[in-house]
Amino acid sequence: MEFDYLLTVLLSSLSSASILLIAAMGLAVVFGLMGVINLAHSEFLMIGAYTALTLTKLGVPYLLSIPLAVAFTMLMGAIVEVLIIRRLYGRLFDTMLATWGLSMFFMQLVVVLFGTSTASVATIPSFSINIGEYSLDGYRLLMIAIAALMFLFVYTLMTKTVYGMKARASIQQPQMAQAIGIDSNKVNTLTFAIGCGMAGFAGAILLPLVPATPTMGLAFAVKSFLAVVVAGPVALTGTVLTTLGLGGGASITASFLSSVIGEVFFFLITALLLWLYPFGVSVKWRRKL
Amino acid sequence: MTLSEKIYQSAGITLPAISTLFALIVAYYIDPYLAFVSTSWVIFGLLGMSLDIVWGRGGLLSLGQTAFYGMGGYFGSIVAINFSATTGNSIIWALPAGAIFGALLAVILGYIIFYARMGALQSTILTYTFTLLLWSVAQPFKLKVGEASIVGDSGLSNIPGIIIGFGEEAESLAPNQALMAVIIIASILYFVTRRLMSSHFGRIIDCIRIDHEKAELLGYDVRKYQLLNFTYAGAIAGLAGTLYALWSNFLSPSIFSIQEAFLPPIYVLVGGLGTLAGPFVGALTIGILSFVLGGTAGGQTTLILGATLILLVLFLKNGILGSLDLLWKRFLPDPNAAARNTNPVKIDGDTLKEILKEAEQQAGPAKSLSTNDLFKKFGGVIPVNKVNRSFIPGKPYSLIGANGAGKSSFLKTCVGMYKPESGSVHLSDLDITHSAVFERVKNGMGVKNQKPQIFGDVSVLDNLWVAAYSRTKQNQQALAVSHKILNMLGLEEQSNVAASALSHGQQQWLDIGMVLCLAPRVIFLDEPAAGMTKEETRELSSLIRILALHTTVVIVEHDMDFVRTLEGDVTVLHQGKVFAEGDIQSLRKDERVLDVYLGRRKHV
Repeated sequence: MEFDYLLTVLLSSLSSASILLIAAMGLAVVFGLMGVINLAHSEFLMIGAYTALTLTKLGVPYLLSIPLAVAFTMLMGAIVEVLIIRRLYGRLFDTMLATWGLSMFFMQLVVVLFGTSTASVATIPSFSINIGEYSLDGYRLLMIAIAALMFLFVYTLMTKTVYGMKARASIQQPQMAQAIGIDSNKVNTLTFAIGCGMAGFAGAILLPLVPATPTMGLAFAVKSFLAVVVAGPVALTGTVLTTLGLGGGASITASFLSSVIGEVFFFLITALLLWLYPFGVSVKWRRKL
Repeated sequence: MTLSEKIYQSAGITLPAISTLFALIVAYYIDPYLAFVSTSWVIFGLLGMSLDIVWGRGGLLSLGQTAFYGMGGYFGSIVAINFSATTGNSIIWALPAGAIFGALLAVILGYIIFYARMGALQSTILTYTFTLLLWSVAQPFKLKVGEASIVGDSGLSNIPGIIIGFGEEAESLAPNQALMAVIIIASILYFVTRRLMSSHFGRIIDCIRIDHEKAELLGYDVRKYQLLNFTYAGAIAGLAGTLYALWSNFLSPSIFSIQEAFLPPIYVLVGGLGTLAGPFVGALTIGILSFVLGGTAGGQTTLILGATLILLVLFLKNGILGSLDLLWKRFLPDPNAAARNTNPVKIDGDTLKEILKEAEQQAGPAKSLSTNDLFKKFGGVIPVNKVNRSFIPGKPYSLIGANGAGKSSFLKTCVGMYKPESGSVHLSDLDITHSAVFERVKNGMGVKNQKPQIFGDVSVLDNLWVAAYSRTKQNQQALAVSHKILNMLGLEEQSNVAASALSHGQQQWLDIGMVLCLAPRVIFLDEPAAGMTKEETRELSSLIRILALHTTVVIVEHDMDFVRTLEGDVTVLHQGKVFAEGDIQSLRKDERVLDVYLGRRKHV
């Protein structure tokens, strides 16, 4: 029985960490490949959730609404990149402030359009898995696999494809990239759109677990944002490590003690890691992304 | 000097003074409700100013100001609730308590940030984390201290108002009087802060913001100054938070929320970063905007604030005061005009010797520098491979070698910019292998890096002054030293020009001048002749030869003709090791040196 309990805690913590990873991955891509901290990332997540919600209400099957939500958030991301982000390249903190303004704007816009109430998707059949006398939500557990697949997909996209190489070239040596004929503006727009699309995907796929509200992104925003910054220059792989460590750790702490102590744990470990690695944990890694 | 110039010079004092008077008059007459609301705008301005000190002057975007503000508010209120009954007065208890508590928290957080030498992004994130941590802890937090009880989400209530009088009959000020009191407090704090920021401390803080590496190379313990600045700002924020608590009679955890944390940056950006008075303008503008919109647009202030922030960052980077400043400057004569008619540098041997003798009296005799098996590697590359060298005063030492031979890396390892894996560095008998850069400089090391490192926005004279002040710690003496060096460099007419307006060659000279102001006992110069004309190179050569008579001089150089004129000792570095040494004539005959330097096959 003791073993069952530990396994349950472990699995549920792993799925919490995976959920955080799903939410944070787009942020990591944009930070790692463009050096941009997008504080409106969580609002793209929220937009993805609302898109999927609205579509399912209109009768679109839930599984089909996910790619549509991705497409919509990618489009929004591309527009935001052209209108705002592009003008602020190299100005890290200005970009942060501008995207924060954007996040307030989106949040309030959604309040105006949809109100503050919560609506959930009823079309997803819920199922659960039993471990001894404990039961776990199956959809939550599924997120572990989704996170792993998402990571593999993005990692392959960014390291094995021509686009991925162009994207990494554009951020590492923008002038050189342009000199060999890469239109780095276009590549950056696409990268940012992909990052936002990943947020949209997260919002849509998490909809059965996290109901759509205008402020739903906030809970993810802070933690994913911290995880990415603590991860440092090797953003994607680093973020996997930090979300698993920080998110999983906080979740385990929360199961044994209380949720507030879990939060405190998350923040204190973040502070400790920043003290030990003032430029992020992956500063000395020799990996690509 | 024209009238406009005179007014411009004192604008930071006269305009705020006039505004304060005007605000006091308005505060006396306006509608009490408006007075009540606008009191908060002044308090927000004060909060904004605390960020401007850290961000505009110190260069760190802190999202933790609301944390100091909130914690200062809570602590000040607890003190006020418990003690104000004894005197009747609330502010003499609450304000100092809030300020001290804000400062205390800032010391702790600032120590972690600055003494870990955290990256800029990481620092900002840590301050943000701190605020959010308080947000999550404050919500379930319950505590009873004497009369005061904090009840989590429901916050802390029964906070006394702003009470200035003493005794039993003392009562909270009416809205108009409270506004006037807050305006007076804010304006006192503004003038104190302005005074501080134009003092020696403020000038050093400005230099650290512009180039903290150079500031450290001048011997300043950058961390200490940044921490002091951060702490001072924390105190201001704590005090502002207390004023806020007394004004609203209530505090809740929402003071630590994300929305709240970003308000100070908005005030600062709207008003103008680094202007100190700007945040007040910003808070007032945003306050009026929300007040007016609150009536007409319902709750859409957030929407408009968000859009405003985006537009501000994109189009009005300098804020209201910053833009006005730029506009005004257009109508003033160009302060950098003098940069266009400069005299050639002329090193006067006698003056230089005089300066050096004086330096010797003040800083002691020249020191030697020696390395013992000094070893540094980056991954698989070993730029410094067990180098044993010692340098003594008398004649200049040149380090030569092909690109990548490890010259600059050796220099940076000696200076402390790189930490060696093994081996040691001694300054005379003192082991400095593990000393911080500024400690080495304090012990008599002077360094000029390859690129000219000058404080671009600061005047030429102040550049020299900052260097001299680091050594003398005494204003008059520092001024005397910097004037002497200024004259020697032939830059008297340019003393008030911004250093960035100088030509590349002059910037090199200014940088060398800054190093001389330190009166170093050991001098490192990395490619000092780069970008200089033939005449300037000749002057430089004579400067170095005179310098070497009084101090130890080590030069990294590519220009062989220049090295020949120095008539000193030459060390050839190759693949991180000492390859050969001797005078230039004997090295020129050495086939092996010719091989490695010219890239012939045999020894490469």
